Amino acid sequence: MFLHNLKYELLSNIRMKDFIFWMMCFPIALGTFFYLGFGKVYNNEIVFSKIPVAVVEVNEDEVFNTTVKSIEAEKDPLFSFTYTDKAEAEKLLKEGDVEGIITVDDDLSLTFFKSEIDQTIIKSFVEQFVSQKAVITDIAMNAPEKLPEVTEKLNAVPDAIENKSPSGGNMNPYDSYFQNLLTMTALFGMITGVLCATRNQGNLSAIGARKSISPNYGLVRLISSLTAAFITQIISVIAATTFVLFILKINLGDNIAMVYLSGAIGALVGISIGFFIGAIGRSSERTKGAVSTTVMMFLCFLSGLMVGDMKNTVEEHFPIINRINPAALTSNLFYCLSLYDDYNRYMENLLSLMIISILFITGGFLLTRRKIYENL
Amino acid sequence: MSETVVKIENLVKRYKELVALDHLNLEIKKGEIFGLLGPNGSGKTTAINCLLSLLSYDKGDIEIFGEKMTPTSYVLKKRIGVIMQNVAVLEELTVYENIDFFCGLYVNDKVARKKYVQEAIEFTGLEEFVKFYPKKLSGGLLRRLNIACGIAHKPDLIILDEPTVAVDPQSRNKILEGIQKLNSEGATVIYTSHYMEEVEQICTRIAIIDKGHSIAVGTKDELKNMIHNTETIKIEVMELSDEALKRIRELEYVYKTTIENNLLEVYCSGGTHNLMDILNILNDYGTLLGRIYSEQPTLNDVFLEITGKELRDTEGQ
Repeated sequence: MFLHNLKYELLSNIRMKDFIFWMMCFPIALGTFFYLGFGKVYNNEIVFSKIPVAVVEVNEDEVFNTTVKSIEAEKDPLFSFTYTDKAEAEKLLKEGDVEGIITVDDDLSLTFFKSEIDQTIIKSFVEQFVSQKAVITDIAMNAPEKLPEVTEKLNAVPDAIENKSPSGGNMNPYDSYFQNLLTMTALFGMITGVLCATRNQGNLSAIGARKSISPNYGLVRLISSLTAAFITQIISVIAATTFVLFILKINLGDNIAMVYLSGAIGALVGISIGFFIGAIGRSSERTKGAVSTTVMMFLCFLSGLMVGDMKNTVEEHFPIINRINPAALTSNLFYCLSLYDDYNRYMENLLSLMIISILFITGGFLLTRRKIYENL
Repeated sequence: MSETVVKIENLVKRYKELVALDHLNLEIKKGEIFGLLGPNGSGKTTAINCLLSLLSYDKGDIEIFGEKMTPTSYVLKKRIGVIMQNVAVLEELTVYENIDFFCGLYVNDKVARKKYVQEAIEFTGLEEFVKFYPKKLSGGLLRRLNIACGIAHKPDLIILDEPTVAVDPQSRNKILEGIQKLNSEGATVIYTSHYMEEVEQICTRIAIIDKGHSIAVGTKDELKNMIHNTETIKIEVMELSDEALKRIRELEYVYKTTIENNLLEVYCSGGTHNLMDILNILNDYGTLLGRIYSEQPTLNDVFLEITGKELRDTEGQ
C-alpha cells in the first residue's frame, strides 16, 4: 500500500501545473532575472578590476617606469597604464576612458575629475610611491635585482583593501540573492505539504474522504504522501541548484554535495510547515495553499530575498527572528558553505531546522490523527 | 430469511441545535437495492457518512455484515464500495490511473487489480477514455469515472450517494443500468437520491426520509398502498356547472376535487372505472373537454400525504 500510494502521489505531484510553475519554472526564471540584473555587477564593479590610468611623462622617471612594469607584470594588476601626451590624456579623462592622469615630472602629480574609490586608490598609490621613492631609488642604484621584490611590497598596500573572506571564500554580496532563491525553492515544499494534509483528511476533501473509508492505516497513507512530497521537492531543489551552480555559474562554495544537502533540509522544513498549515482548521485546499505561500514569501522577505540587507536589519533589531525563521536558517546554510570552512555554524543552523521540522510534522500528525469527524 | 447486511438502530446525530438524524432505524437485506429517498437536507448523506464511520454520532448502533462498524473496521471496509456525492478523483491522474489508484487501496495483488480495473472500465463504458485526464471528461463521464473508482474492487456492499446529480439523461440511464447489473451480480446496493423516478425505477425497497427520520419503508407498491390516493384524474373543462361538480363529488371513490384555471382535478381512493364515471357525468351536462390525464400515485404523493409537503418543493434547499 505504501509503495502504491507513493507511486501515485509522486505522479500526481509532478503533473501538477502549480508545481511545474512555482517549483520548476519560477525559480529558474527568477534566477535568470537575478543574474541578468546583478549577477555580474560584483565582478564588474565590486571585485576590483584594473583601474585605467594615463601617464604623461614630462621627464622620464626610471624608478616609476620600473614600478609600472612590475605592476603590469602581476597576475591581477591593479592598474592599466597608458603612456600618452597631456592633451590626449585629458581627452581620455574627459571621456571616462581613464580614471586619472599621473604626470611624471620632477615629482609625481595626479589629476582627476571625480573623487571616488578608483581615484582614492590611484592617489594612495601615488602618495605611497612618492614617500617610498627614496628607498626604491637607493635599491635601484645599489641592488637593482631586489627592485621587483620592493615594488611588490609597495603594491601590498592597495592589495590590502581587496575583499577577502576569513577563509578565502566567496564574498560576493549579490550571491545572497541566489542563496535566498534556493531557500525559497526549497520552502515551496509548503505547497505540497498542504496537499499531504488536505488530501488525506476525510473532513477536508472528497479525495480525503474516499481515502479515509478505504481499509488502510491513516498513518501509512500520510507517511507515503509526505515521502512523495519530499521526493518531489528534492527534484525541484536539485533542478534549481544545478541551474544556479552550473548554468549561471554562481559560486556557492566548494562543497557541492553540502549545497544540495542544504536544499534538501530546506525542502523538509518547508513540507513540514505546509503539512502543519494544511492540518489546521477546515478551510479549503486553495485557501490553505494561499496562506502557506504568503507565509513562505514573508519568511523569505525577512531573510533577504526581496531586500538584500533585510537579514542584517532583522539581526540588528530582532535577532531572535533570525534564529527561528526557517528561511533565514536555510539561507544561512548556503551562506556558511559559501563563506566558512568550519562547519560549526552550519551544524547549528542544520540542527535548528531539524528541530523545526520535527515540531511541525509532529503537530501535523497530532492534528490529523482523528479518524472520525464531528462535521464533514 | 435473507442475511441482514446493514442494521441501523436509533441513530441520532446532532449539529449543535440541529438534529440531523432523529432516531433513524434501517435494516437492509442482502441482494437489495435499497433506496434512501428524501429531499435535500433530509439526512441521507449524514446517514451514509455515519454508516461509513466518517462522521461521529450521538446515539445509536450501526452494524454491517453483522459486525459493529468503527473507523478501524478494515476488514469490513474492504467489502464496501462508496460512490460519493462529490466527484473524488485526482485531477493529475488519467482515467486508468485513477481507477488503479483507488482500487489499489483495497486490492494489493497487482494481477488481480489489473483485471478488476479493466472490468471497471468496461462496466462504466470508459474504454475510449482511459488516457484522458478528468478535466477533459464531460460531467456524465466524470460521474462514471467516480463510480468506476468506487466499485473496481468488487465490493459486496455498494453505497451510492446521489450519483446522478448533474448528469445527462444518456449517462443517467447507463448509471442506473449499471447499478442494476452490479446488484444482479450479487452486490447489495444502498442508493440515495432525491429523484423519485430513479428510486422507483431501480430500488427493490425504499425508505422515505424526512428531517432525519424514516417516515415510511417498503417496496414502491407497499408505500403507495399506505396512502389514501390511488388515482388522480385531471381534465381540462371549458365550463363546469355546479350540478356536474356536485355529482362527481358524490361518486363512491372520489374523496377530493379541485378546479382551478379550467383544470378539474379529481382524487380517487380505490375503484377501477373512475375516469369513465366522471366522463359520463361531464357528457350528461354537455361539458366541452380538453386534455384528459389519469395518473397513478407516485412516491411524491406518498411523501406529500405523509409530510404535507412535496418532495420536489424541497429540492435545492
